[in-house]
Amino acid sequence: MEELLRMEGVSKQFGEFYANRGVDFEVRAGEVHTLLGENGAGKSTLMNVLIGLYQPSAGNIFLHGKKVRVDSPAQAVKLGIGMVHQHFMLVEAFTVFENIILGDRRTKGAFVDEKARKKEILELSWRYGLNVELDARITEISVGEQQRAEILKALYRGAELLILDEPTAALTDTEVEGLYSIIDKLRAEGKSIIFISHKMREVLHVSDRITILRAGEKVCTLDADKTNSQELANLMIGRELSEPLYTKVENPGEPVMELCGVSYNKSFKHGGLNNVSLKINRGEILGIAGVDGNGQSQLAQLVAGVLKPDSGELRLKGAKPAVFSPHAFIAEHVSHIPEDRNLMGLIGEMSVGDNLVLKQTDSPRFSSAGGWYLKLGEMRRYSMELKEKYDIRCRSVAQETRNLSGGNQQKVILARELEAEPELLIAVHPTRGLDIGATRFVRDAMIAARDSGCGVLLISADFDEVLQLSDRILVMFEGQIMGEYSGAKPPISEISLAMAGK
Amino acid sequence: MHKDKSMNLVIPLLSIVLAFIIGMLIILSLGANPFKAMGFLFRGAFGTATNVSNTVVRSMPLIFCGLCTCFAYRCGVFNLGGQGQFLCGAMAAIAVSLRIGAQGPWVTVVAVAAGLAAGGLWGMIPGLLRIWRGLNEMITTIMMNYVATLFMGFVYTKALREGSVPQTAPVPDATQIGRIFPNYRITWGIVIGILVGFAAWYFLFRTSKGFQLRAVGFNPTASQFNGFPVNRYRLMAFVVSGAIAGMGGACDILGTQFRLINGYGGSYGFDGVAIALIAQLDPIATMIVAYFFAVLRVGSLTMQVGSGVPTSVIDIIQALVIIFAVAGSAMMHLPEIKTFFTKLFGKREAA
Repeated sequence: MEELLRMEGVSKQFGEFYANRGVDFEVRAGEVHTLLGENGAGKSTLMNVLIGLYQPSAGNIFLHGKKVRVDSPAQAVKLGIGMVHQHFMLVEAFTVFENIILGDRRTKGAFVDEKARKKEILELSWRYGLNVELDARITEISVGEQQRAEILKALYRGAELLILDEPTAALTDTEVEGLYSIIDKLRAEGKSIIFISHKMREVLHVSDRITILRAGEKVCTLDADKTNSQELANLMIGRELSEPLYTKVENPGEPVMELCGVSYNKSFKHGGLNNVSLKINRGEILGIAGVDGNGQSQLAQLVAGVLKPDSGELRLKGAKPAVFSPHAFIAEHVSHIPEDRNLMGLIGEMSVGDNLVLKQTDSPRFSSAGGWYLKLGEMRRYSMELKEKYDIRCRSVAQETRNLSGGNQQKVILARELEAEPELLIAVHPTRGLDIGATRFVRDAMIAARDSGCGVLLISADFDEVLQLSDRILVMFEGQIMGEYSGAKPPISEISLAMAGK
Repeated sequence: MHKDKSMNLVIPLLSIVLAFIIGMLIILSLGANPFKAMGFLFRGAFGTATNVSNTVVRSMPLIFCGLCTCFAYRCGVFNLGGQGQFLCGAMAAIAVSLRIGAQGPWVTVVAVAAGLAAGGLWGMIPGLLRIWRGLNEMITTIMMNYVATLFMGFVYTKALREGSVPQTAPVPDATQIGRIFPNYRITWGIVIGILVGFAAWYFLFRTSKGFQLRAVGFNPTASQFNGFPVNRYRLMAFVVSGAIAGMGGACDILGTQFRLINGYGGSYGFDGVAIALIAQLDPIATMIVAYFFAVLRVGSLTMQVGSGVPTSVIDIIQALVIIFAVAGSAMMHLPEIKTFFTKLFGKREAA
């Protein structure tokens, strides 16, 4: 098959950080080529370079063997590259037809030749099986139809190469089947598709070839019919396992948190929990391994009291909680290092000091007269103490937290959560985006918490981290627990099989 | 942090200076002498003790409405209903003072309390709609303003009408809020306003609940994860800010205007939004900016008489201050500007 697109040695640097480094990527005419990788592996950055949202720091892009410069999304459209974003870019108050012709060069004049345009669009939609009601408003149609409208829009603008960014994320199972048949028709007509996903099953089903990215670099390109999901999982996660640093606990204490047959949003394979039972014991780190988006976020939020289970039972320190609220769980000494530190963990506009005492301003230590008088001096003294103890690097504790580096922000959360004397610590991606020093600091602190008798639930997309820290490992796949393994001598190949859903 | 704090002062001051420069250019283009006009403006506001007293009287409702916005926005609640809440407070206060069948200072207290409650209830309705049904409060509060304004029409043309002119009877003398100095129109209402301002500041920055309320305003998701009752704080912000505006309406009707007539309340509610935004949502600064607005209003009348420059020039200046202040604070969040200032201040620190 003829080559359509070639990206050669593409790097994209943000400051010191490489989001992509020396990536080679090639797409043939009439093929479906999947970009596979964990969140943060650099898939989106690479595509943003391709559609001209980012300029690469190094490397070249060739279309039909000719070197091109893509300096804007408009330029990408001209070159025949169309992208269907994960979150659709449609004007909700407009009809499908209006959205499709919006901004197209053929409709620049004052008047739109509606009949002729509609005829063209209908021909396209018939040819590719893209059924959409052209005169319906975006708000009136389903997510699947919105997606078809997006694809139609890209085709109408002459796209030869379509980028589908996690196209199945929001679709129902029937809609996914429909999408597959559309992809088949597009391929048959000689269009090329870049399919972005981290769901192994659909990737194997739909692709001709698969390119795996990890930590911004290309791992390899494989033919879909010569590989399997286990191999893909291994390549995605990487196998550069480091030597164990920490001793493992074999005999933990009694359970601090138990889930019995808990379900939440069961019908969602990626974003729900299906009949989950597990125990988190005192003095033990329970690690959850799995590809991101298989229910881990929901598990963390359930255990932290943010979400309430649809069915099943949850026991905190042997008792059923009366209310499911973070407040009630915090009162029972549940600490939470949430997955998104800026959105869920910190008040960025408030100072480091304020964030350190965030949960404690009602306590007699930091306020008197029933909360009507804040002891600012004591708050400041305490936060200076924690700044030293947790090595938080900031100009002063009065500095706004949003201006700190990611590692120092994480230390602020860590200090706050660990100083609350937790009996259960939930840590979700605790070292994501941190440098080696900060990572080590956070991990040491978690081990210290375990050794002092705290039960730890560690959820991480970093497989190595789970292996390093966990005394016990559970694997999650599509909202279910696939198996339980010892942390002392983990059977790595079995675990990666389980992560692939087998 | 010092940089951030000083910017909170620099932006409003710079906005005022810029707005005045443009205002004076407009006056020049109208064929008048801008310096003379400004002279009249200044004399109109500060020329005599009576004029100064008028500026203070004028600032009282603006202080209440500014604080109303300030309190709500601190909790991330965009209450644009200060106008309606102010009117409800005024209506409740005058209804009590006319219908309670008695007069005297204790009636005044009851009337102010009624105004406070009415404003709070009026603020609670969009609050409940937001929390239960997720309705956007910017829209509901504005619509509630129209309801309040039209209901006021019913009050002065029908319910509490006195005589042939569509207006209510005046507040009985003994129920009026008293003057501080016999010869000047300044009433104890301004003292209440200033006390409310300091109380709001104290609550927001010196109490645990105020701390949590601000946290909810900045980041509701993180506040929820950290165990704060987000919806309860939001509702409280609606009610308290409405109560502040309602109290303002009560103090205005009982101390300054005495009766409801067509057009009562002007645009205090919306001026309050502008004032609070220029003051960067700081209660103390809100009171200062409110006074500044009052100075412009009072002075502009003398300016119009003295130099023939229409008072609407002052409206332009006010609007420009708002645009510059809001644009200025938004600009400070742009990455380019941030690096520029970091460089600038970095150099200064090195030198």
